[in-house]
Amino acid sequence: MSELLLVLFLWSLPLAALVASVAGGHRLVRRLTPVLLLGALLLGLAIAGNCFFNGKIVHVDWSGSLPFALGLALDRLSGFFLLLICGVSVPVVLFSISYAGHYCSAKWRWYWGLLPIFLLSMVLVVVASTVFLFMLGWELMTLLSASLILIEGDDEDRRRSLFIYLAMMHVGAAAVLASFLLFVPHAPTLTFDAMGATGVGLPAHLRIVIFLLSFVGFGVKAGVVPLHFWLPKAHAIAPTPVSALMSAVMLKTAIYGFVRLTFGILAAPQTWWGYLVLGVGIATAVLGILYALGEHTLKRLLAYSSVENIGLIYVGLGLALIFQGHGLPVLAALALIAALFHALNHGLFKSLLFLGAGAVQQSTNTLNLEELGGLLPRLPGIGISFLIGCAAAAGLPLLNGFVSEWLIFKSLLKGTVLEPIPVLPLLIGAVALAGTLACACYVKVYGITFLGRPRSDAATYAKDAAENMDLSLFIIALACILLGLHPGAALHPLSALAGTLIPNATTPPEIADISSAMPLVAAGVLLALILALRLRTRTSRRVDTWACGRPGLTARMQYTATSFSKPLRSVFKAVYKPERALDIEPADQPYFPVNITYRSIRTTSFEKTLYRPSVDLVVAAARQLRRLHTGNIQVYLLYIFLMILALLLVLRFA
Amino acid sequence: MRNVLINSAQLLILVLAAPLLRGVISKLKAWIQKRQGASVWRPYADLWKLLHKEELIPNTSTVVFRFAPVIGFAVTVAAAAFLPVLHPAALLSLDGDIFLFVYLLAISRFVMSLGALDGGSAFGGMGSSREALVAALAESPLFLALTALAVLAKTGSLSQIAGWTMGQNFFDVSTVHILAFVALAIVAVAETGRIPVDNPTTHLELTMIHEAMVLEYSGPSLALIEWSQAIKLHLLAALMISAFAPWGMSLASTPIGLAAALGAYAGKLACLVMALALVESSVAKLRMYVVPDFLRVAWALAILAVIFTAITKR
Repeated sequence: MSELLLVLFLWSLPLAALVASVAGGHRLVRRLTPVLLLGALLLGLAIAGNCFFNGKIVHVDWSGSLPFALGLALDRLSGFFLLLICGVSVPVVLFSISYAGHYCSAKWRWYWGLLPIFLLSMVLVVVASTVFLFMLGWELMTLLSASLILIEGDDEDRRRSLFIYLAMMHVGAAAVLASFLLFVPHAPTLTFDAMGATGVGLPAHLRIVIFLLSFVGFGVKAGVVPLHFWLPKAHAIAPTPVSALMSAVMLKTAIYGFVRLTFGILAAPQTWWGYLVLGVGIATAVLGILYALGEHTLKRLLAYSSVENIGLIYVGLGLALIFQGHGLPVLAALALIAALFHALNHGLFKSLLFLGAGAVQQSTNTLNLEELGGLLPRLPGIGISFLIGCAAAAGLPLLNGFVSEWLIFKSLLKGTVLEPIPVLPLLIGAVALAGTLACACYVKVYGITFLGRPRSDAATYAKDAAENMDLSLFIIALACILLGLHPGAALHPLSALAGTLIPNATTPPEIADISSAMPLVAAGVLLALILALRLRTRTSRRVDTWACGRPGLTARMQYTATSFSKPLRSVFKAVYKPERALDIEPADQPYFPVNITYRSIRTTSFEKTLYRPSVDLVVAAARQLRRLHTGNIQVYLLYIFLMILALLLVLRFA
Repeated sequence: MRNVLINSAQLLILVLAAPLLRGVISKLKAWIQKRQGASVWRPYADLWKLLHKEELIPNTSTVVFRFAPVIGFAVTVAAAAFLPVLHPAALLSLDGDIFLFVYLLAISRFVMSLGALDGGSAFGGMGSSREALVAALAESPLFLALTALAVLAKTGSLSQIAGWTMGQNFFDVSTVHILAFVALAIVAVAETGRIPVDNPTTHLELTMIHEAMVLEYSGPSLALIEWSQAIKLHLLAALMISAFAPWGMSLASTPIGLAAALGAYAGKLACLVMALALVESSVAKLRMYVVPDFLRVAWALAILAVIFTAITKR
């Protein structure tokens, strides 16, 4: 029965796409497509929930009727990620109804035709039980998200960013595929089950190569520093609901792949794997949030914040590997639960923030923080839920983001049991730094965008947001609050999930601790809140903001996003390395200038020191290779002859 | 039941005695400057006065401005529930509440910074931007100093750390404790906006941090802000006392023991307050961009404290 439902769910997605693209011109179809898609997603949600909460495992195997291994498998890990995909997609689809409402008919068809199969590709990645299907979904995911990006235009900038995105994704996909193919001589078939059976028995050096390849391959997709380069470029130009999906869900498929391969298939990790993952995670978290702090375009900022959160998830995964390597299954389970729960939480609050950014863009036609301001009274529904998203992303207690950060802190603190040198507790400082910078960053985002006075006409005359935009944001905000107040709902099934991946793991005591503490804290805060509200029952009067006794305070006198982050940027200036140029005309009269121009360009140092040289190297190599292309057919025949000779030699001596 | 009563009394002491702490500090500072100074009960009168005044609200502001002081007050009071004062237990306790405690105080800063930006003037932005700087640099050493203690005590709960420290010999005090104490003292000065990081009595645009944030507030909201600021100062003082010098806390919770514990607590608090008053009277406020250097000292000390946990006998 559940096998049938799973297959039905998979087929219903392309069906929705087909309906949209074939009959998208009809008004009724325009109404029907989102409903069809929502229905499919709810079905998926039910299947995933049954699997994640009740541990119902589903297997579908078509290998018998096909010449190659093909099948689906839904265990707790897949169920968890399927739950994340479907759960986030429901509000995104709801939001898309109004977002895509302004598209012309052709664009509308493309959008609703591509969106369901983009969702399908992500679902395929997490439910695939064979390498073939996994890679199919993996590749479709890249291509379909790229096509969705192209819906909103194909100007020069966009094409450049898209090219970088595609190039990076294919480097990653190649590394992932290579890591899978290395199993070929050892595993009888390329199914995850067969690979898992041989994983521990592989030669040690091969295991290391597989681990490193998968770390790089999935790391590109997840956007760990220094492979995060594509992320703010691609996420910022996609249609906003797609950005939300890319940030909240697509990045998580990389986490899924990494967990599946490292914990599920390779198993028995070495300790240094963990330290590698942990180190990269810490660097990603701190640098990601520093870049976010310096960014003033809402969607780019949110994309950099995703980099930070991916870093935190990797910190959890690295800790789990370290603990597992030292033979401490309960602590490994704790760290793995922290990582996976943070993946879920980030999926929730980041989709909320991206959708909020989409609503802001629809209402004001801009995403530049310096042109926004005062949106809360103009878009109250969006504003309140966006505030909850910001607080969750800043990791504040009573919301979901805090619980996973607390679990990460707790696992780091537990690291003292390991060794004489307290490396892991020291890293608490770095994670705390990322946390407080995130707090500052989201104060900036919310305060500059939604509070104060509007900084431009676009913000002053912001249009109302559509009702289902409000609704979709409310749904996610509610989920953030519920998981923050009652984290046990997700933590207990996650602990069962960790038990399937880590041998001998029992439920860590922290799960019960935090699950029972959060409602108490919430009750305490509520009590104090009521008390404080009773203290403050006095009359109030509205007056002009104080402007040093002068009338006429204008919006230009407020702090901007740039000035807000200036003190922090100057403290961390080693990270930003801005290129500044100040031109004063005429140059010989600096105190009486006619014209002053000031430019400040921030390129990340990775672009200059890592990417530029490697791109130059590839181009130079290609130029040298071009000499082989003489255009002379005899020379080409010679090449073929030499190649055959070389192959024969290899076969003779190998 | 008895324990719940004692724990609630602890919470009430932390919340209700906080303005007195401020009064004592300003009295001490006045004495050092050879002035008469206002009564130590003056902060209570100020709160009473402000609570009965009409509130002025900037016309561009929203619900965030209105609710920020209330939420800030509520979470500060909630954070107080985690601290032991009279005996090594607290109303709320959790293995790992050191992190929860700091994050609850972070909520207060988050909403107050937003409230400041909501006023729509330059001062609010200035204040919240500078507060973000100080907080970003002060919070990590705070985490690390608490981590060092947690590693030694093998527990992440504030009340259990106090209980563990009580079992130690005072003269056997470790390097970790000294380093963490100094780091925590620097952080406490920065977090509560005292000299040399910020001056709570200034209203000069160039220097103010916290005062710039709350410039638009008046009446009952201002009272709540002042009160929660006082509670925060008291919390950090109580944190230092319970983590580094809990001796004198009552283990058996007898009435006499509790009274003695209260006396001991008041004495230790008086020492801290005197030190703070002396520092505030003898040191000039730092320039804004020297504050990060000051906080880096706390960073270095806190990192050393964590490293030294490895060589301290456990």
